[in-house]
Amino acid sequence: MSYRKLLLPLVPIALFLVGWELTARFELINAALFSSPSRIWRDLVTLHTRGLPERSLLLTHIGASLWRVFIAALIGTIAGVIGGVLMGTNRYIRRFFDPVITVLMPIPGIAQAPLFIIWLGFGDPTIITVGAIATFFPIAYNTAAGVRSVDQQLVRAARTMGASWANTLISVYLPWAAGYVLSGLKLGWARCWRTVIAVEFIAAASWGLGFMIWDAAEYIRSGVVYGGILLLMLIYFAIEKALIGTIEARTIRRWGMVRT
Amino acid sequence: MSHAYSVAEFVLPFLIIAGLWELLVRAGAVTSPSFPAPSTILVKLWTLATGRGVLWKHLSESLYRLAVGYALSAGAGLLLGTLLAMQRTLREMFAPILSLLISVPTIAWVPVFLIILGLGDRTVIMAVFLGGFFAITYNTIRGIEMVDENHVRAARIMGASGPRLFAAVLLPGSLVSILTGLRLGIGYAWRALVGGEMLSAMISWGIGKMIYQARFWNDVVAMFVGLMIIGVSGLALDRGLLRWLERATIEKWGMLTEG
Amino acid sequence: MAGEGNDREVGYADGRVATVSSYIIEMEKVGKVFGADKRRVTALKEVDLRIPAGEFTVLIGPSGCGKSTLLYLVAGFERPTEGRILLDGSPITKPGPDRGFVFQEYALFPWRTVLGNVMFGLLRNGWSRRDARSHAMDYIRLVHLSGFEHAYPHTLSGGMKQRVGIARALAYDPKVLLMDEPFGALDAQTRKLMQQELIDIWQTTKRTVLFVTHSVIEAVYLADRIVVFTARPGTVKGSVPVDVPRPREYTEERYLDIRHSVLDLLEEEVMKGVRAQSESLTE
Repeated sequence: MSYRKLLLPLVPIALFLVGWELTARFELINAALFSSPSRIWRDLVTLHTRGLPERSLLLTHIGASLWRVFIAALIGTIAGVIGGVLMGTNRYIRRFFDPVITVLMPIPGIAQAPLFIIWLGFGDPTIITVGAIATFFPIAYNTAAGVRSVDQQLVRAARTMGASWANTLISVYLPWAAGYVLSGLKLGWARCWRTVIAVEFIAAASWGLGFMIWDAAEYIRSGVVYGGILLLMLIYFAIEKALIGTIEARTIRRWGMVRT
Repeated sequence: MSHAYSVAEFVLPFLIIAGLWELLVRAGAVTSPSFPAPSTILVKLWTLATGRGVLWKHLSESLYRLAVGYALSAGAGLLLGTLLAMQRTLREMFAPILSLLISVPTIAWVPVFLIILGLGDRTVIMAVFLGGFFAITYNTIRGIEMVDENHVRAARIMGASGPRLFAAVLLPGSLVSILTGLRLGIGYAWRALVGGEMLSAMISWGIGKMIYQARFWNDVVAMFVGLMIIGVSGLALDRGLLRWLERATIEKWGMLTEG
Repeated sequence: MAGEGNDREVGYADGRVATVSSYIIEMEKVGKVFGADKRRVTALKEVDLRIPAGEFTVLIGPSGCGKSTLLYLVAGFERPTEGRILLDGSPITKPGPDRGFVFQEYALFPWRTVLGNVMFGLLRNGWSRRDARSHAMDYIRLVHLSGFEHAYPHTLSGGMKQRVGIARALAYDPKVLLMDEPFGALDAQTRKLMQQELIDIWQTTKRTVLFVTHSVIEAVYLADRIVVFTARPGTVKGSVPVDVPRPREYTEERYLDIRHSVLDLLEEEVMKGVRAQSESLTE
């Protein structure tokens, strides 16, 4: 473990935090707009303790967002893998949907939200639906690419050893595509997270990290806004390391099939 | 997926879908006002485009903000990227911070900008800036880092160093990655633009704004028009603009390994 | 004409004596064409070849002469556009476990261990897990990879990977072993070692082998008979029996003689190939 690698990045962070705290304290910057780090901490703690003993507002917000992300990711992943396999194995399906995906994929979830608000109203249905759509595209795209890219020699090897077509699909195509699928999952789940938060800005009724940040911004409670962003960072980091890191280690790293 | 589509092949699926949809509406199978027929959407598109030319006003405002924000992000990104790539100490200091910041969805920064910069144009441009900035910086750093060491050695032994080395070897060598960054960047910038416009209360024009306002009038047709435009513009920006740049440089030099 | 066979004499109970072909593979006027119209490529034309059982036959020829294509036809990965290939009397139509294939690029399944790879064919053909495992271990021992059965392919060297490939192809007891330039991706030292080991394994298992290579030295070292192909469109130019007793030394006189014969046949075809290539470039 290189100490240099660990300590160096802390230097600018520490300087930044200290500088921020001091300039806010000494009123060099508008404290209302740029709350100091200590203020942020206090606001977050208040948000946590204020609703107790019934519930921690902070944790309820976080929980609501995580719940939506989970459901949206689940739906989007299942649909994405199925869609991807279909597209990867059937030339006509692929040629038909490829242009459609190319045009629809880049449309941000937040732009789709007003439409879904009209169709499904505010709250969970809209947020989860738009999140699921955002998750679907990268997963389908990558899965299809993975299935298509199978090394034909491996398919031949399996066939010459007596595997039927169905068997080859399961024992060769699927594991081969795993690397691609995993890339797709990384992209898809990241997108799910970003989209859910974004859609919460305009479609959430009362709970959610996105809602919390947006609401605080409307009342210029900047401490909560900055705090919210900090939480976003930390939660994302934790999930990425914990969840995706372990999946990768167990599968594609062990097999030597890592794709950057 | 590497199959190169001709224009006709590309448009066909959309025509088929639109055709089926139109049929369903005409046949009365779909009657909800939330699912307008493609013909209605096209009529609306036409109305907005002609008449008082409202569509162009929206589009041009959006493109203006995009251009400014993107130009700034490209400039800053390339500079910072180069700096961090060349200076190891700085890179070790700031790269982790960069990865941390990237993990925050661009849109989440908008409330911060709303507080600091107000509810108008500047916030949107700032969002666009952030959208492009991270992708460009990251890819620039990677590109320069990954220049084939042997190329550098070859140049050094022939006497190049410093700025000369940079211009002659590092820059062209990292071009593939930089262009990828620019391409990704404009995609992210465009999406940040739309999001930013939807959240900024004090602006009145812009594609994102158009969609957002349409909700208050329950104008589903206008929303579809807006979404269509977002999709097509995104495609045009990615394929049109930067493809051309790619073609003129790295494709010509045979440095592109995949389509 | 290629393929002087060894007809066997079989005695029946009633006193009759019959001559039975002991050719395990028979190729009759085999042709293969790829593509259509302008991009038509005739890879093989009128190949007549008979492979006796138990023999080590090497196919050699200039680049692009179709020898690998012929191997693919025998494996069943492709179908001939003309003629047919018989395996033990029945025509070959698709890949199956009566043939084993060793690929130049190994084609090992990266998500399975060495043991998993070698067991694959057995499991596909109805063996129980337990039987498959012990049988596979026998073959892993045969190719000198004991101790590596739980390693993943990406941790192995090229030579080791190919040994897994050979073990995997032999494990389910195919009638014929097809080898497509299996040592082409290895360095010279490893290559020599693998050739020696391959002969050891072959002599132990007595399988019929059809082996494709570029290298004349390799061909003379390994083969009972070398079949030389013409440039594209490929057909049999001639065949050279190798009657040098094994183990063979690269420097024996007889060895060198045979090498010359093969080279004579080959050179003319290689030159044709080179000329064709330069013509197409200057068009």
